[in-house]
Amino acid sequence: MRTVLFLFLAALSPGQALAANQVALANDVFVERVTTDAQGKQRILLEEPKVVVPGDRLVFVLNYRNAGAQPADKFVITNPLPAAVRFADAGDTRPLVSIDGGRGWGQLDQLTVALNDGTRRAAQPDDVTHIRWAFQKPIPVGGSGKLMFRGVVK
Amino acid sequence: MMKAPVGGAKHQLLPSCSLLALLAAFTLPTQVQAQVATPPLTRAGTTISNTASATFDTGGGSTTINSNRVDLLVDELLDVTVDSSNPADVPTTPGATGQVLTFSVTNTGNGVENFVLSTIANAGGDNYDPVVTQIYIDNGDGVFDPGTDTLYTPGANDPQLDPDESVTVFVVATTPGGVVDGNRGIVSLVAAAVTGTGAPGTSFAGQGEGGGDAVVGSTGADGADAGAFIVSAATVTLVKSAVVTNPLGTADPIPGATITYTIVATVAGSGSVSGLAITDNIPADTSYVTGSITLGGVAQSDAVDADAGDYNGTRINVALGTVAGGQTRTVTFRTTID
Repeated sequence: MRTVLFLFLAALSPGQALAANQVALANDVFVERVTTDAQGKQRILLEEPKVVVPGDRLVFVLNYRNAGAQPADKFVITNPLPAAVRFADAGDTRPLVSIDGGRGWGQLDQLTVALNDGTRRAAQPDDVTHIRWAFQKPIPVGGSGKLMFRGVVK
Repeated sequence: MMKAPVGGAKHQLLPSCSLLALLAAFTLPTQVQAQVATPPLTRAGTTISNTASATFDTGGGSTTINSNRVDLLVDELLDVTVDSSNPADVPTTPGATGQVLTFSVTNTGNGVENFVLSTIANAGGDNYDPVVTQIYIDNGDGVFDPGTDTLYTPGANDPQLDPDESVTVFVVATTPGGVVDGNRGIVSLVAAAVTGTGAPGTSFAGQGEGGGDAVVGSTGADGADAGAFIVSAATVTLVKSAVVTNPLGTADPIPGATITYTIVATVAGSGSVSGLAITDNIPADTSYVTGSITLGGVAQSDAVDADAGDYNGTRINVALGTVAGGQTRTVTFRTTID
């Protein structure tokens, strides 16, 4: 039965299968390809790329699952942003972000960046170095979910 | 133990969703933002690696696990721009050779690339077609010098540029002899990626720097810009008139009468003439009146000296030098009838 379930999950998840028996985190990256049809309507297709070019919009999808026997408390997912990717948005998942390599954290609209002249400016998506989701309640046994954010290849 | 920050995502228990649902979720409300070109671009051949981690406590203390790693190779984007470096039309004259237009060619892609150069002089929108004779690659000083700059031969020394690197290119042309003042002649310099050009998104498999593909960027992997020559010529017209006075107080040309000649030189056009001189022979049966040459009402000596006028026994001469279009010069001298 477990084997069957495992295969089932593998079929659902486009990338890495979530490992059984433990808490697992799977990472998939898609590229948004925008096409315009004959009526001028734009369609956005998500493709799993092997190669990208600067300017491509990437969608990072993180699937987590508590397949262990205990609830997972103080659950925090952290994704350091690859250096060649500029953060764009995280949909409505409201992550914490860091703009200083993971030392300080906050909502993007609450962070500021020190300028050379001593003043501070509001942090921009460009400044983001890390993205983090901190869960306030434990992930129960069998609980799962997905998180996402977008970035642009610099 | 790791201190989880407060205020992050609310605990969500989303059902394990299928790829189809995922696609639908992202397809609907996403607004497409304009791609902002923020140089420098990620270099072709770079691998983008993404790994996330999860930290949690299942009762036995804090545990951290890593996700799988996703690697993406950055392809080479083929992009180039050409800009005219001449702030205004470059003045030229009919028949002039070695007339120079200056351009700058910039690799706006993300990989090292060679660019083939060509010119278009017959695209219209102007009055004449400059005859392009050579293209030179600047040696770095930004100043055209055929002795130190490199003569360009297509296919032989197509300039190789790193990402964001620019090179100055000189287009040398001859102005046809038949053009007239105010005529404009346009020359466009075209630069095209040697790997290939085409519609944005066109891909050249395996030809990108770093082992990936080469993909045509938003410029189509070719660029062009126009520079222009403007013909700045001038023409000279001379009008000569004579007034006779005699001791009788009449205007009859009797022996002993004085003839005052006036020569007006008018220069027209947007250019100027240089080395302009007015020379007039003293007519037979008349005698030059010593010291009678004037230029603009100012008396000139008969000797060849610092002033502009002289008389050598048979003719008067007034050297006017360089005179710009729109100006006139008036020369007078007198003779008596023998």
